[in-house]
Amino acid sequence: MTNLPPDLIEDLLGIAPDSPLGVLRRRRPEALRHAEGAFRELVLPEDPGGISRAERARLACHVAAREGDAALAARYEALAGAVDPSPRLDALLTYAEKVAMTPEATAKADIDGLAALGLSPRDIVAATQLIAFVPYQVRMLAGLRAMQQEKAA
Amino acid sequence: MTRFTMKPVGWRPRLEPVKAETATPAQLAALDACPPAVRRSTYFLTLAHDPGSLGERGALFNIVMYAEGGLDRADRELATAVVSMVNGCVYCTSVHAKRFVELSGDEPAMQRILEEGWAAEPDPRRKAIADVTEALTRDPGVVTAAHLAPLRAVGLDDLEILDLLHGIAMFANANRLMLTLGDPLLPRVM
Repeated sequence: MTNLPPDLIEDLLGIAPDSPLGVLRRRRPEALRHAEGAFRELVLPEDPGGISRAERARLACHVAAREGDAALAARYEALAGAVDPSPRLDALLTYAEKVAMTPEATAKADIDGLAALGLSPRDIVAATQLIAFVPYQVRMLAGLRAMQQEKAA
Repeated sequence: MTRFTMKPVGWRPRLEPVKAETATPAQLAALDACPPAVRRSTYFLTLAHDPGSLGERGALFNIVMYAEGGLDRADRELATAVVSMVNGCVYCTSVHAKRFVELSGDEPAMQRILEEGWAAEPDPRRKAIADVTEALTRDPGVVTAAHLAPLRAVGLDDLEILDLLHGIAMFANANRLMLTLGDPLLPRVM
């Protein structure tokens, strides 16, 4: 497993904890802690259940790329490494595309389709949480980059 | 006519939720990290299938919406209602539009936003918040310091902007969960 930086967002922004933005983020320490915690729990859980860590990173990479965050996508790409293709992974990637890009167009049939491939309710909820969490990261990164630009100006 | 409303909207899960009586200790612990008012709701019981993510994500949600100081809570509710409208989440919109009204006392303002959007929003602070919220929700890649300038112009400080970013980002997440894991049950049209 790759060595993880203490805080993914700050690592991607290239800022130190004692930088102005780092200090600002520490005024909401629980947000910092639980965003990092959710990332680790979703991508690198101790017990990944029916969706491996590599598959999870592959799904996150897809969402980050589709949302236009190349740096975040590259990080997930590195975490994913080589993932063996499978119809199940294809179905999960199709699901990720829908949930991330057109969530309003999802239907019960999408969930039932994953269940029919042998994914448990826990796997389905975990995949959905993961796919829905990357858009959180993308928007925090985008907003914080805008604040960085402000401070550099 | 707008499909967005402040009336209560129901939610039917697409997966059988966990039952509180038969939940595992890990599932109960994760539920207890969520806001007290909702920790036995169908939605949270559905998320409880994966207790690890529910615990972390529930705690994150709590702090984003309820942290003391910083951005006014009514402004957080405004932003989360706007994100929910942009994403087409009728359920989340109803909940957070209602909370905005409870906190601000300004029902006509929210009713107007639900019906007409925020393009002609007369309150400059609300207009600035709604505009940056829409931009970051629709296309995060294009947001730059220039998008934050209207927030500075109405007096938001660094912590308030950070709180706003947290709220916008949280509902990119929340709307996707709600829209994917269940269906809204709309109130009967009068």
